[in-house]
Amino acid sequence: MLLQLLLNGIIAGAAYALVAVSFGIIYSTARFFHFAHGAVYVAAPYCAYVFIVWAGMSPLFALPVAMVIAASLGAALEFVVYRPLRRRGASPLILLLASLGLLIFLQNLISLAFGDQARTLRQGDVVEGIRLLGARVTPVQTVIVLCSVLSCALVWVFLHHTQMGRIVRAVGNDSELARMVGMDSDRALLVTFFVGSGLAGMAGILVSYDTDMRPTMGLQALLIAVVAVIIGGTGSVEGSFLGALLIGLVQNLVVWKISTQWQDAITFLLLLLFLLLRPQGLLGRASKGVAV
Amino acid sequence: MLYFLHILTLVCIYTILAVSLDLLAGHTGILSVAQAAFYGVGAYTSALLAVRVGCTFLESALAGVFAASVVSFMVSLPSLRLHDDYFVIATFAFQIIIFSFFNNSMPLTNGPLGIPGIPQPAIGGWTVRTHMQFFIFAAVIAALAYAVVSRLATSPFGRVLHAIREDEVFIRSLGKDTLRFKVVAFAVSAALAAFAGSLYAHYITYIDPTSFTVTESILVISMVIIGGPASRWGPVIGATILVITPEVLRFVGLPNSVAASLRQVIYGALLVIMMTFRPRGLVGRYGFMRR
Amino acid sequence: MDTFRCENMRKTFDGTRALANFSLEFPASGITAIVGPNGAGKTTLFNVLTGFVRLDQGRHFLGHRETTRLPPHEIARLGVARTFQDLRLILRVPVLDNVLMACPNQHGERLLTALLRFSVAGEEARNRTVAMRLLRFVGLDCRAFELTGELSYGQQKLLTLACCLATGAPILLFDEPVTGVHPEMAARILSLLQELRAAGKLILFIEHDISAVRQVADFVVVMDQGNIIAQGLPGEILERSEIVEAYLA
Repeated sequence: MLLQLLLNGIIAGAAYALVAVSFGIIYSTARFFHFAHGAVYVAAPYCAYVFIVWAGMSPLFALPVAMVIAASLGAALEFVVYRPLRRRGASPLILLLASLGLLIFLQNLISLAFGDQARTLRQGDVVEGIRLLGARVTPVQTVIVLCSVLSCALVWVFLHHTQMGRIVRAVGNDSELARMVGMDSDRALLVTFFVGSGLAGMAGILVSYDTDMRPTMGLQALLIAVVAVIIGGTGSVEGSFLGALLIGLVQNLVVWKISTQWQDAITFLLLLLFLLLRPQGLLGRASKGVAV
Repeated sequence: MLYFLHILTLVCIYTILAVSLDLLAGHTGILSVAQAAFYGVGAYTSALLAVRVGCTFLESALAGVFAASVVSFMVSLPSLRLHDDYFVIATFAFQIIIFSFFNNSMPLTNGPLGIPGIPQPAIGGWTVRTHMQFFIFAAVIAALAYAVVSRLATSPFGRVLHAIREDEVFIRSLGKDTLRFKVVAFAVSAALAAFAGSLYAHYITYIDPTSFTVTESILVISMVIIGGPASRWGPVIGATILVITPEVLRFVGLPNSVAASLRQVIYGALLVIMMTFRPRGLVGRYGFMRR
Repeated sequence: MDTFRCENMRKTFDGTRALANFSLEFPASGITAIVGPNGAGKTTLFNVLTGFVRLDQGRHFLGHRETTRLPPHEIARLGVARTFQDLRLILRVPVLDNVLMACPNQHGERLLTALLRFSVAGEEARNRTVAMRLLRFVGLDCRAFELTGELSYGQQKLLTLACCLATGAPILLFDEPVTGVHPEMAARILSLLQELRAAGKLILFIEHDISAVRQVADFVVVMDQGNIIAQGLPGEILERSEIVEAYLA
């Protein structure tokens, strides 16, 4: 039983990690809470749904296309909404509010188009799952963990060992300085949003295969991403990954002792504890901006 | 006609909510996503006391106000030292935790089943019964709430709140304990929201957790922003627009769930549009820009 | 009169040392100037003394009272007022409002009094009289009802001075009071400082303009990289060419 819960925790954590890490790099670079990340997360599976279930396309084709659409959506939001706002001197608070508006707008568009009921990308019967050390793991769940670890590792490599990645980090550190030194911070931001949103799209699709999809899943996933990034420490890919894993584990172990209904409350209690006692998170540097 | 009065009563209730948030967000510059939580604390306290203990409206409403103030201290005191956007996240967390409490404490709040049978308000010997009476009752309370916030905004207390919004470092250097002002503003804001909750509970005579979600908080924020923060009529205008719009849609014959989603599409869009083109709202003078 | 005393103060920001074992007891009267090159730690000194920055090590006192851990508003209430290098003011309100806000002990700032307005009108009227008098002192009374944002830079500096005076504090800390203003305005500000000294205020000011220091200072402290390089009478310190060249050029 405990092993199953631990495994569930890791799988949940892995799914969260994809959203968290992608949210984290966007936050580190753009320096505001991009709530509309949740909209990108939910847009991808619904696009895939249209392609696979309504148009009958093969998942091999539909899934990558859906991810690219999600990635482009994210980049478009940056280009069309955030960049003009930034040019006008908008504070992080204004960007947060605009982002919130975008999330609500897009989430409800999906609701209008598809209805609020749960759907799934799975076709065929529910697979029982292979036995692993006394617990069960389905193929999809294995894919989730693999994709998550691989993607997060690739993101880390991108940030630390590529030219563009270095620029992204520089922009995140001090965008004024980066621009003065001749770095194209606008382009770096677009790249970050594109990559981040693509990963979020991937996460949404994977979760829709594993369980189900609803228009409200975006806000849910996003709130967990925020908690993970803050707990893990903003500015740290490894931190966001760990934070997400921690949340996945805590949520599933909670089920063991306390019932599932308190999951949300406990997740956010965890967030509050970190915000108030250790604002820099597990692995973040002592942040300048958290406490006055 | 009855339907029309019902809408106007809702406008009054939401005006109280918008005005309460405006004190905090518009005048003091502190954005909170927990307004629905305080709305709920007022509604639940009031409903439980009225249904289970038999308190009158005034007694239960005052208890709701008191409860919300206490909860507000628990939220504000630890969180106010966080920076703007982190503070918003903290209020998000509190909102979700408090909602969770409403939704999961079966013995106390009856969880998702809600609390039915809340009596209509009785003041002295007079019970508020008809739609017209309710509208007048709600309008009076809304006017009172409006007057409270307006009075505070034009007083020396309000002057300091505005200064906190503009340059907190400066006002601290003048010897003002800005934390105290912020905590007080937060408490007043919560108290007013709670009163709106009591009014709501005794009007609809049934409450359940779904009226007090994050989405509701965001709706109230939208009202303040779209109308215009820290302006005389902004919150009222915002409340009116955002309450009436979905009703208009329902009038046009759209089914309930579609109307609900469409309403959110509209106010999501309005939020983005306002932030982009007119952050000070329709009639406001202040928009969350920092220099 | 109570004055500031610093004991082994140390403060580092992100690897840069702003204050390094800084110990000094400031004169208890007159005008003291704090000079030195950029990055010497002068503004940090002010921020530490007024409670806006916490020390890594060391202590500071106001008279006998230790102020090391006090928040800014409490230090202000002990009788200290200051201006800021980046000229903090509320720009979106009339000039008079900024001064009104600085008046201490306003009952109208309490919640219940603000709601019930008991005797607030009288208090406001009294504070207005004081505020107008101060604006007249600095020469801004004709602009009392204009928006603060529309004043010139020099006029805004005068306004910050008026706000400091409105608090009634006996100790005034001015961060670069005449930097960036044209000579007429600078002369006006300096003569105001002299009048304030005559009225018994204790003044500390940071400046780059050495002629200003020569004109009004009774005591000079030269800082560099968080250390005190020299301290003493302006006549002595400012004649030593090695100091002037190395730190004050």
